[in-house]
Amino acid sequence: MDIELSSEDLAFRDEVRAFFDENKIKEGEDYFSWRLGWFKKAREKGGWDVPKWPAKFGGPGWTPTQHYIWEQETARATIPFDLPFGLGMLAPILMSYGSKEQQERFMPDIRDRKVNWCQGYSEPGAGSDLANLKTKAILSDDGTYYTVNGSKIWTTLAHVADWIFCLTRTDDSGIKQQGITFLLFPMKQEGIEVKPIITLGGSHTVNTVHFTDVKVPVENRIGEEGKGWTYAKGLLEHERTGLAGLSKSLVEVEQLKENARSVQRGNGTLMDDSSYKSKVAELEIDLMATEYTELRSLANAAAGEELGPESSILKLKGTEIKQRIQKLTVEASGIYSPAWGDGGIGFPFAKGGTGGYLNSRYFTIYGGASEVQKDVIAKKVLGLTKGSKK
Amino acid sequence: MNFELSEEQKMIQQSVERFVQENYDLPKRVEISSKDPGYSKDYWGSMAELGWLGLPFNEEDGGFGGNQIDTLVIMEQFGKGLVLEPFLANVVLGGGAIQMGGSEELKKEILPSLIEGTKQVTLAYAEQQSRFDLEDVATSARLDGDKYIINGQKSMVLNAESADHLVIVTRTSGGQVDEEGITLFLVDSDTKGLEKQNFPTVDGLRASEITLENVEVGIERIIGDIDKGFEILKAVSNNGILALCAEAVGAMEILYKDTVEYTQQREQFDHPLSDFQVLQHRMVDMFMEYEQCKSLLFRATMETIQDPEMAQKTIHALKHLIGKSGIFVGENAVQLHGGMGVTEELRIGHFFKRLLVIDSQFGNADFHLDKFTNF
Repeated sequence: MDIELSSEDLAFRDEVRAFFDENKIKEGEDYFSWRLGWFKKAREKGGWDVPKWPAKFGGPGWTPTQHYIWEQETARATIPFDLPFGLGMLAPILMSYGSKEQQERFMPDIRDRKVNWCQGYSEPGAGSDLANLKTKAILSDDGTYYTVNGSKIWTTLAHVADWIFCLTRTDDSGIKQQGITFLLFPMKQEGIEVKPIITLGGSHTVNTVHFTDVKVPVENRIGEEGKGWTYAKGLLEHERTGLAGLSKSLVEVEQLKENARSVQRGNGTLMDDSSYKSKVAELEIDLMATEYTELRSLANAAAGEELGPESSILKLKGTEIKQRIQKLTVEASGIYSPAWGDGGIGFPFAKGGTGGYLNSRYFTIYGGASEVQKDVIAKKVLGLTKGSKK
Repeated sequence: MNFELSEEQKMIQQSVERFVQENYDLPKRVEISSKDPGYSKDYWGSMAELGWLGLPFNEEDGGFGGNQIDTLVIMEQFGKGLVLEPFLANVVLGGGAIQMGGSEELKKEILPSLIEGTKQVTLAYAEQQSRFDLEDVATSARLDGDKYIINGQKSMVLNAESADHLVIVTRTSGGQVDEEGITLFLVDSDTKGLEKQNFPTVDGLRASEITLENVEVGIERIIGDIDKGFEILKAVSNNGILALCAEAVGAMEILYKDTVEYTQQREQFDHPLSDFQVLQHRMVDMFMEYEQCKSLLFRATMETIQDPEMAQKTIHALKHLIGKSGIFVGENAVQLHGGMGVTEELRIGHFFKRLLVIDSQFGNADFHLDKFTNF
């Protein structure tokens, strides 16, 4: 057991830092062309544009330590934004369950950041109880296409998405986890209506999506009809471990402390206030522990073991940490916390602080609410099933 | 970077685990604890024979050249049985101080017999007024010809009852709370003027209040340099924290697992208790705190081996979390066991008491949170 980085790992870290340094956005450079150029160069490094993809699909095939180093460095560097839907959520499904044709058809565009995907999972009647979904897909008599009718909700960035990966119901005769089918189809077509939902922080990120007689060719179905739940479940686990966002939180905590030091309080700053600094310290300590919980989980995964029980903790702890950062930011802005919007009122860091906090409440709701996560841990890790008697 | 134990460490882990399973059920522990000297001399002899007492010491001093990870492996398993033998006092604290600062002569005199299990040592550092501040030392040592004269008082000294020697932290110069001016002496416990008042602690272990009245000790019994003892004390205290936290992690594992098992067996309202979601979620919280403590324990231990100075912040973080989470897990284990949880019949309460005591040793959760904020 040791935490020393090998000389190879140190060299890798230097290489990553140098790459980030050389490819920073220059003044006056157009953001979107810089972004695409950045990914192109990252690709030339040997799959750095898709760090989490396995080598078989063009990823870098890094060790867990290299992934950890990458995470740490990306949190501190200026790198272009990325969305998780295509790269992190759909791609792993395509790799595991998609046909060769589907992989060749969809993965290059995902990799080139050409196509924006959204995730059609939750429905008005199927939130944490996702398997309760009702959006109907009926196969045509000749077996060539599905007709989709129904509604999705909380669909993140559906208003800018080109395609959707969508769970639909093709059979409701069995238990609700059966008869779910995984379909892919374009968003810009007749019969699809996207309506914005404005969240507490005043922003438009999520939507409702209505499908009326949307036609989906059968070759856009992943795997077998009725097996969609199995495919989606694998993805959900993927999503959960990715939601912790610990490296980002590390940087944000540093920022939080800096912000608090810029707020005067008596002869000192807010960071001299014993109650405030204790809250920051407790947050930091939880983050330090969770970081190592993530490392332990990565190490287990690399040793070929299943994601260990530690991984189930990550979403719960990670999202709670992100919320606490937001909350302490609002607290730091003090009398200015009621100021709404980006109007430049109050402390520079307080810009939209309360809005950010309000929006952060969904961290413990999406991807399976914290209470559902606890049900999962109770059942899977602690073995507490109903009526169990040892 | 890896989290795997070496083959040797895995073997030690298995052998300590087996020892605890075979020798440390609750009735046996209660029996050993209630009789003098408060631990089993037979067990202590076996531990010496198995080589556990020599594990973290240097090979030239008769040890096996291990490090804090070896201690972690042993202490975590000890925590699962609430082992009473004075491993911490001897190997980590008293012996640790001698290893770090003792002259060659002192090391030769003390360490081999400690490793063999024939002689015992402990560390006397705290005082009534010092609370958790290591640097708050009022006990004075005054030079008188070729010896020092010690006067003062030491508090909550672990295992002093059985110790043949005590490492005593004294002030040789400076003000009462200065880090500079602290000196460590090795004093034989039968020295004239040294009095022990022995008493049991909440967790079934033993401690002593020590008074020192004109206790004479030769200059050759100084551990480290005159006035420079604080660095040794701090390093020993850090190792003590790591060892205690490893023990706490072992104890927390028993508490959450026993609770899971109990709620599956106990029926109320025509259901096993484990059917109730409110209890399930509480147990998930207990499990998560245990895992988080374990993560931070690994982190602090590995960082200490790599760079003790860098690790200081993490050690404060660890002792804070262990204190807070240990009591959380203990209180909830008692709560979920209902009436049985507050009896002495189940082992739950005994593990809880040990976690309470661990929080009070080398600084409690609040103390270390405060230290942490200064980084």
